Amino acid sequence: METASVPSGLTLLEFLRERLYLTGTKEGCGIGECGACTVLLDGKPVTACLVLAVEADGCSVETVEGEATDGQLSVLQRAFVETGAVQCGFCTPGMIMSARGLLRRNSNPSDDEIVEAMAGNLCRCTGYEAILAAVRVASRPPAEMLTGEATRDGRRLLPPGYSGKDGRR
Amino acid sequence: MDARSLAGSRVVTPPRVERGKEPLVLGRFDYQRPSTLLEAGRLLAGNDGPTAILAGGTDLLVDIRGRRNDPRILVDIKRIDALRRLDVDPAGELTIGAAVPLNEIIERAAIRRTYPGLVQAAESIATYQLRNRATAVGNLCNASPAADMAPILLALGACLVAWSCRGERTIPVSSLFVGVKKTCLAPDEIAAELRVPAPEPGLRSGFLKQQRLRGHDLAVSSVAATYAPSTGVLRLAVGSCAPTPLLLEPIEVGRSSRAAVEEEAVRAVQAAMRPISDTRASADYRRAVLPVLVRRLVAAVLAEGGAP
Repeated sequence: METASVPSGLTLLEFLRERLYLTGTKEGCGIGECGACTVLLDGKPVTACLVLAVEADGCSVETVEGEATDGQLSVLQRAFVETGAVQCGFCTPGMIMSARGLLRRNSNPSDDEIVEAMAGNLCRCTGYEAILAAVRVASRPPAEMLTGEATRDGRRLLPPGYSGKDGRR
Repeated sequence: MDARSLAGSRVVTPPRVERGKEPLVLGRFDYQRPSTLLEAGRLLAGNDGPTAILAGGTDLLVDIRGRRNDPRILVDIKRIDALRRLDVDPAGELTIGAAVPLNEIIERAAIRRTYPGLVQAAESIATYQLRNRATAVGNLCNASPAADMAPILLALGACLVAWSCRGERTIPVSSLFVGVKKTCLAPDEIAAELRVPAPEPGLRSGFLKQQRLRGHDLAVSSVAATYAPSTGVLRLAVGSCAPTPLLLEPIEVGRSSRAAVEEEAVRAVQAAMRPISDTRASADYRRAVLPVLVRRLVAAVLAEGGAP
């Protein structure tokens, strides 16, 4: 719980990064196009660059910092790591939050539903295939991922038909 | 770089900024969050400088950041309960409050059933995150020639209720737009809610939009249609092909063949459109693509459920 008095022109993104030093949430475009600053506002994904900090008054705000518990990455985060869905990593926190929002409203999304939910998050590295695979894996995690014994060999966690980290099928 | 030169380097600390004078990407303005329409109306009628209504903010905050809009006061209307309505009255009229985000409309099963065209238009706007903020009323009041909600609301015969301390008036969406990014709303008026008339029995509706990239572009051209088999009336409205979205004269389908109706619709659209060339498409491309969209949509609403 945070209580703060803020200038009315301060965005939620500036508040998170520059006042709370929660720098996991990234600023990409600053105009709602890229999704790098996606956070959950009262459980729903929004771009924090287009929300005033004061508009979040009394609301719950979830950021990527809330994913890991006791230094253990969440299943969703591990799925991103293991499937090679992270390259430069700049878009990843926003991707994670969009995926978190999706999995919360739909625990077993189809590929089309994943694509629709993630379409507001741009990635310039991965080509998206691995990201799609990560969300797919996170929605139906293999047992070793749930027990925290995830393999370092991403291929073992990938869905059938997906043969490499380079996105080729 | 060796250790010596590293040792000599200085850690650069950001300059201390006096509290209240920190640089902000959006600049400075006053923020008001009224909880009633009356309070909001008084703020808008006041003389404290340029005032903007903040609903979803997905256009307003982008314009402020780009210095295309420089309001002194933002009036956030999202916590006015009267503007959060999304319901159908016993007579079948749908009310969409100004604070209702697009995703709420999209997720409402009754609306999906009754007004598929309205949902298709809402779903075509931007991205999931933005649809959690952006509102239908805001999309309309921005008065972009490319406003995605405009054609379907025109075809459905919707009205906008404008509220001010002077009173309330109901404006048909067909007379709301007076130019590019201009509406007939007065500075002290709040676009409070949309009213979509009860559908005729079996009303069909649809929306088609041509864009370069889904989710990351405005419409190159768009068209919405409604067709009521009980009355045989087809209504069409088009976007992005004139300074304002356009509602066309209704077409009596009667006993005409589908091909004849498509022809008539295309002729009506061609007569009405005044497209320009811009970054998204040339006027010629718009002239070529819109008839294709019109034919597809007319065929779809006429054929649905086995009609003519």
